[in-house]
Amino acid sequence: MTIKSNLTVIDYGMGNIWSVLSALRYLGCDARVSSDPDVIVQSASLLLPGVGSFRKAMVALQEKGLDQAILEAVQTKESKILGICLGMQLMGSRGSEDGDMIGLGLIPNPVDKFNPQEIGTAKVPHIGFDLVHSSPESTLFRGLSRAADFYFVHSYRMLPGGLKGNVSTCVYGSDFVAAYEQDNIYATQFHPEKSQTNGLVLLKNFLAQEHDA
Amino acid sequence: MLKKRLIFTLLYNDGYFMLSRNFRLQKVGDLHWLKSNYNFSHISFSIDELIVLDVTRGERNANAFCESLKSLTEGCFVPIAAGGGVRTTEQARSLLRSGADKVVVNTPLFENETLIEELASEFGQQCVVGSVDIKRTLDGVYQVWSHYGSQCLPGSAAYRIEEITTKPVGEIYLNSMDRDGTGQGYDLNMLNLLPKVMPKPVILAGGVGNAIHLAEGLADPRVDAVATAHLFNFVGDGLKQARQSLIDRGVDLPVWDIQLLEQHLRSNKTAQCIPT
Repeated sequence: MTIKSNLTVIDYGMGNIWSVLSALRYLGCDARVSSDPDVIVQSASLLLPGVGSFRKAMVALQEKGLDQAILEAVQTKESKILGICLGMQLMGSRGSEDGDMIGLGLIPNPVDKFNPQEIGTAKVPHIGFDLVHSSPESTLFRGLSRAADFYFVHSYRMLPGGLKGNVSTCVYGSDFVAAYEQDNIYATQFHPEKSQTNGLVLLKNFLAQEHDA
Repeated sequence: MLKKRLIFTLLYNDGYFMLSRNFRLQKVGDLHWLKSNYNFSHISFSIDELIVLDVTRGERNANAFCESLKSLTEGCFVPIAAGGGVRTTEQARSLLRSGADKVVVNTPLFENETLIEELASEFGQQCVVGSVDIKRTLDGVYQVWSHYGSQCLPGSAAYRIEEITTKPVGEIYLNSMDRDGTGQGYDLNMLNLLPKVMPKPVILAGGVGNAIHLAEGLADPRVDAVATAHLFNFVGDGLKQARQSLIDRGVDLPVWDIQLLEQHLRSNKTAQCIPT
């Protein structure tokens, strides 16, 4: 049985929301899909997916007035948000993909390309399952091993220096932010919807937070 | 450190799933058959990636393939690549809207560079998988074949592969036509065709008969992923057991607990969302 949820998956024309919806359906959550700022402001829970370029995505959000809607929902109404992959990057302070661009600023660190000096001969994009190290205090990783595998596909990353929230990391050359959580803000650089039961548990943990709200 | 990958490849032909042996196709069953006999959604928890290829030789029904893809990938939580006969960006977009994360291209690699560039610029390089079919001549020389293995391309296979690595593709799927469907194991000599410094991930395909063959492929440092398209070799719990035996042998595959699914996910399922 599925229950109509107050979770909105934000559709701004970037990437595959099909697989996110498929995972939510599997978990019994009947999320709505919207690109309407009014719907987004009214949602208790938001999911910001995305694949593609930071600049294009940020421009798409701005053109539809979605950036302001997201900020109002998250900062004023304390709605919960989960950003996935590019969605997480957009929550950063700025991105340097296709020229410098300001982000939503929900997470205070910038997003830059993997630095060849750090990663050596490792291939970019960083594609595939890789180990994520989480802390016992993490809500998203509740019920999972402290080192669990998740599926990544990205060429840009956020470094963890100075972040105050709960940071889970992955090592590719150096540590980068694999997942972040602080109060009502959640983000993963990896794709939980492509990470087998590990990802399903993580999504379920996010949904359970919605329940506690 | 990225994990290695175990990939299952499904071959689709005009509504049916197929076994292939040296590129000759044999009908096995339709989508309903696949779901009821193979419990496909459960099998998908034993793989790291799924590839679905439309290998229909004649005229294709692209919509029917997309519908099958949607149905197959519902409840499948791994990256999915799809392809076969993709000749336009719009065709690729339809696959990506039907559950695919990546698009597999073969013949256009050799005759339609514009398409490859368009796909990469529209969806990103990571979205494009270059598939190469390779056959050995009687005197042991490797050559690349296009158009479903029906046209032999001039030039050495090593040259062809090197050329592909300079194109905007995210990874390369190396398939042995000689070993295809034989169950004799991978042709590891094909890996000698790769450039010394290989900038893109390599998927090895063609010939797997059992878990030892998968382990042999994964043991080679040049191999990032191994694929098998042999439905019957991995019937029932076959794939699950093969995966476990690889992990037991120390192969660095990603790990997840299927039990989590039953225990953790299924419990109080309805309590996860608040009603509106």
